[in-house]
Amino acid sequence: MSAPGHAVEAVYDVIVIGGGHAGTEAAVAAARRGARTALITSALETIGQMSCNPAIGGVAKGTVVREVDALGGIMARATDLAMLQFRMLNRSKGPAVWAPRAQCDRGLYRRAVRSLIEAHPRLETVQGTVARLLLDDARVVGVETLEGRRFSAGAVVVTTGTFLRGRIHIGTTTSLAGGRAGEGAVTHLAEQLENAGLQVERFKTGTPPRIDGRSVNWSALDRQESEIEAFDFTWSHFWDEPRVRADGATRHPAQMPCLIAFLDAEGKHIIKEHIGESAMYGGAIASRGPRYCPSVEDKIVKFPLAERHQLFLEPEGHDTSEMYVNGLSTSLPAHVQLETLRSVRGLEDVRMTRAGYAIEYDYYPPTQLDATLQVRAVPGLFFAGQINGTTGYEEAAGQGVVAGINAAAAALNGAPLVLGRESSYIGVLVNDLVTRGVDEPYRLFTSRSEFRLTVRQDNALRRLGGIARQLELYSPRELELVAGRLAAEDEARALADATSVRPEVVAPLLAEAHSSALAHAVRASELARRQNVSLRDVFRVLDIGQHLPADAVVSTELELKYSGYFERERTQADKLRRLGEFPLDPALPYHEMPSLSFEARQKLAVLRPHTLAQAASTPGVSPSDLQNLVIEIEKRRRAGVSRREARRR
Amino acid sequence: MPSLTQIRLARRCRVVDPAGATVDDAVATLYAAPHSYTGEDMLELTVHGGAVAPILVLDTLVAAGARQAEPGEFTRRAVLNGKLDLLQAEAVADVIDARSSAAHRQALRQLGGGLSRQLTDLRGQILQLEALLAYDIDFPEEDDGPISRERVAAATDEVMTTLQRLLSTGRIGELVHDGALVVLAGPPNVGKSSLFNALVGESRAIVTETPGTTRDAIEAVIDRPTFPLRLVDTAGLRQDPDPIERLGIETATRYLERAAIVLACLTGVADECVTATLRDCTDAAIITVGTKADLARAAFDADVHVSALTGTGLSELLALIEARLGERPGLSAPDAPVLTRTRHRVMIEQAVEEMHRFRAAWAVSDLPAPVVASHLHAARGSLEELIGTVQVDDVLDVVFRSFCVGK
Repeated sequence: MSAPGHAVEAVYDVIVIGGGHAGTEAAVAAARRGARTALITSALETIGQMSCNPAIGGVAKGTVVREVDALGGIMARATDLAMLQFRMLNRSKGPAVWAPRAQCDRGLYRRAVRSLIEAHPRLETVQGTVARLLLDDARVVGVETLEGRRFSAGAVVVTTGTFLRGRIHIGTTTSLAGGRAGEGAVTHLAEQLENAGLQVERFKTGTPPRIDGRSVNWSALDRQESEIEAFDFTWSHFWDEPRVRADGATRHPAQMPCLIAFLDAEGKHIIKEHIGESAMYGGAIASRGPRYCPSVEDKIVKFPLAERHQLFLEPEGHDTSEMYVNGLSTSLPAHVQLETLRSVRGLEDVRMTRAGYAIEYDYYPPTQLDATLQVRAVPGLFFAGQINGTTGYEEAAGQGVVAGINAAAAALNGAPLVLGRESSYIGVLVNDLVTRGVDEPYRLFTSRSEFRLTVRQDNALRRLGGIARQLELYSPRELELVAGRLAAEDEARALADATSVRPEVVAPLLAEAHSSALAHAVRASELARRQNVSLRDVFRVLDIGQHLPADAVVSTELELKYSGYFERERTQADKLRRLGEFPLDPALPYHEMPSLSFEARQKLAVLRPHTLAQAASTPGVSPSDLQNLVIEIEKRRRAGVSRREARRR
Repeated sequence: MPSLTQIRLARRCRVVDPAGATVDDAVATLYAAPHSYTGEDMLELTVHGGAVAPILVLDTLVAAGARQAEPGEFTRRAVLNGKLDLLQAEAVADVIDARSSAAHRQALRQLGGGLSRQLTDLRGQILQLEALLAYDIDFPEEDDGPISRERVAAATDEVMTTLQRLLSTGRIGELVHDGALVVLAGPPNVGKSSLFNALVGESRAIVTETPGTTRDAIEAVIDRPTFPLRLVDTAGLRQDPDPIERLGIETATRYLERAAIVLACLTGVADECVTATLRDCTDAAIITVGTKADLARAAFDADVHVSALTGTGLSELLALIEARLGERPGLSAPDAPVLTRTRHRVMIEQAVEEMHRFRAAWAVSDLPAPVVASHLHAARGSLEELIGTVQVDDVLDVVFRSFCVGK
C-alpha cells in the first residue's frame, strides 16, 4: 500500500505532472482517450509557456505539429490562435518538402493552451509541486504535492522539462538553481526517481538574451515580413467558421515582421576575447548540448572562417516590446552579452531586458522506457518531453500525445499505441528514443526518417486519422470533418483519373509552364504528373473540382507526381510492418540461439517479446540479430515439421 | 605459480579426464574479450597431433560440457561481435578455400580490410552527398545559404568513377578464381602437347584433367604468382569441321573466343599465316612461340623460342604470358581491392544504377531534394549490405561537422 498519511483528495485515471508542451498534450490525449485526468503544475499561469524561442513548426517539426493535430492535440490550434508571423519554409522546393513555421505571441499562445485544456470536461488542473510519487509495490498509484495534497491515479505521466535539478549558468561565476529563468527547480521528485534505481544523466541547453524592441534602430535592419497567404496548422475543417471571414480577417492575430541582423567581425572578436568566461568554455558546464542548436561561442570556435552569423530579432508578442535574439544563445557573462549585442549594426543603443543563459538539467536515458514511453521498471509511470533527453516544443508535444494515450490505456486496460516509423515523425522520434537512446538533446530532422517522402505535413490526417478514429480520440463533429477532408482527396483523385483533357484547352497553361504541348487528349491525372504542371491549375482551366479544398488537391497532386518514389517507400514500409507483426513465441529458447549476439540473447530472454516489432525496439538488439532471429525460428519450425513427419512414418 | 588465467600467456598444462587421468600434455593460451578472434573470451589448447591425442582431448572436453563448433561458427561470432565485417568473413573462407597462391594472396588482402576500406570510403563519399542534400532540406535558413549544384555534380562523378573502376576489377577476381585461359593453337604435330606438358611440369599444377574427362580438350591449371593459368590444349580435336581446322590449325573456336592469351605454336616461317588467321578469331593477346628450339632450325621471327625437351625458354614464355596479361585492360593493378564474388558485383551494379538515376534526377532541377536523395540512400544501402555492418556515423553527423547550423 501507499505510505501512510491522510486520505487522497481525488481519484483520477491519469495524472500528468507538468504543464509544458508535453504535459498539456499528454493531459488532453488521456482525456480524449476517456480517462479522468488531472494536470498538476507548479504555476497554472505558466501552462503552455514557450520557454525558448517563440516559434512553432519548421522542417520535420511542422509535420509533427500536424500529426499532433491529427491525433486530437492542441498545439496546432493554439498556434493558429497565436501566430504573428507565418512562413512556409522550403516553399521554393515544392510542396513535397514544405515546412510550415509560425512565430507566436507568447501570451496569446499560453492563454490559448489553457483555454483549450479547460475545454475538456474530463480534464482538471491542479496547482502544486509534486514532491513524490505514491508507489504500491513498484507500481505507481498516485502523487503527493509539497503542499501535502494527495491524488490517486492508475497511471502518471512525468513531463518536467528542464526542472529536475535545473541549474542556470551565466558566465563562470553565476550559477543558480532553477528550472527556467525566474522559476525554481524540482529536487524532491528527482531524488525519488533516482532512488527508484533509474539511471539519470545531465544535458545542457541554452537561450539567447532578449532585448527591448524600442531600443532597436529598425531602419538599419532588414525586415522579414509574414507571408501574405495565411496557413492553418490545424485542418481548417476542424473549425466551424471559415478560415477567412467575409471581411477578410483570419483567425490569426495581426502579423508582425522579424528583423534580420548580423554578428560580424567585431562581435566575433568580443566573444573570442571573453571565451574563457563562458560557462561552457570556462569549465562550469561539463554536460553535452545539442550540435544543431549551438551557442554563439560554439559557432565561433568551431567555424572560425565564417565571416558573420545571421541573427533573427523576433517579436515576443503584441503586448510587449521585448524581442528574442535568435542565433545568439550564450552563457557568457551578462556584460559581455550586452557588449556583443551593441556591436551589431542596428543594436548600437540596445537595452538587454534578460540575459541569455545555459541550463543544465537531469534527463533519464530513454532506453529505460518501452515503446509506449512507460518506464520499464515502474509500471504505470510514463515519461515525455525533455525528461527523455529531447529538445523542442514539437518533440515534447509528440511524446506527450503518445504517453497520454498509453497512460490512459494503462489505467483503463485499453490497447496501447505504438506508432511505426513509417507512419509518422512521432513514430520515428519514439522509436529512436527507446531503441537507440540519445547522446545529445534529440531533435527531429527529415534525415532521421527513412520515409520522408510519404510522411509529409500535408498528409498527416491520411496517415493518422484512422488510428485516431480507432482510439476514439475524435468528437462526432471532428469525425465528420476528418472523413470529409479525406473524401475530398479521394474525389480529387477520381476526378483527375476520369477527366479527359483536350490539347487546345490546356495549350496556354502548358506554354506558360514551358511544358510541351499535347498531341492528343490525355487524362488530367496524366498531365499532373508533369514536373511543372499543377493539378490545381489543370482543374481551374477545366473548371472542375473548384469546390475541393486547395490542400486536398495539393496532396492528390503529390501522389500523382511522385508515385514511383512514393511506391518504393511504401513497399519498404510494408516490409517493415509485416516484419514487425511477425509473431514471437514468448517461450522461445533465446539462450540456445548461437547466431544472436550475446547481448541480444540476454535482453530478449528477459523481455520475452510477442512480436518482432517489440524485439526490434529493444536496445542492444541489432537489425542483424533480428534477421538471425527469424532464421532461427524458421530453422526450428522446419526441424519441428520433419520430426512430426518422422513420427507419422 | 602463474595461473592459466593470465591473458595471452602460453602456459604448459595437463589435460585430465573427469577421473583425474592425464589425457595429454598441452599448451593453453587465454584470450580475454574483446581481444580475441571472436571478440569473446577464448581458451586455445595446443595438443599433440596424431590419430589419438586430439580425439581423446575432444572427448574429454565434450564430457565436461563443451560442444564442437558448427562450421564457420567462430567467424560468424566474430562478425556478430563486430570483429570482422562481412567481406572479411568471406575472405576467411577464401583463404581456406584458396586453390592458387594468387587467390590466397587476394583473400588475405580482403581479410586485411582492403576492399572494406575502399567501400567504406565510397560510402563516406555518398554520405557527404546526402549531407549536402540534407543540409538543403533540413536547414533552410542558415548562414551558408543553398548548396552549389556544381559541387554535387562533381562529387557524384567522382563516386561513379570509383564504382565503375571497382566493377571492372570483377574480371580480375574471376581470373584469380578460375585462372586466365591460355589456349595452345597451331598446326598438327607442331609440338603443342609437348609444350603443354612442359609448362605443367615447370609449375605446380593445381588441377589436371586427363584426356577423356572432357570430350574435346586437355586442361590444366597451373599456379603462377599473379594469376593461375588455365592451359588448354585442343590437339587431336578433329570432329569440329570448323574453318580454322580446315586451314590446318588445331584448336576450337569457342576456346579462342574466351581466351585471355593464345599461344600460336610454330615451327617455321611457313606457319606465319597461322598467326594472321588466329587474329581474326580472337581478341586475346597472341604470343608466337617457336617450338622445337632444340632442333636448331633456321631462325624465324617469333616472340619466344622454347624447347619442351630441354626446357629452354619456358620461364621466358611464362614471364611473357604474365606480362601480356598485365597489359589487358582492367588487369593492370592486381594488388588493388578486387571484387571476388557475384554478390559483390550485383551490389556494386545496384549502387551504380542508383547513382546513374541520382545524376539524371539531379539534372532535373525541379525535383524535390528528398526525392532525388532517395537514390543516394539506395546506393549507400547497397554498399552497406555489401560491407555487412552499418557504422554509427550518419548523415546528420556529417551535416553538423561540415556546416555551422542552428540558431
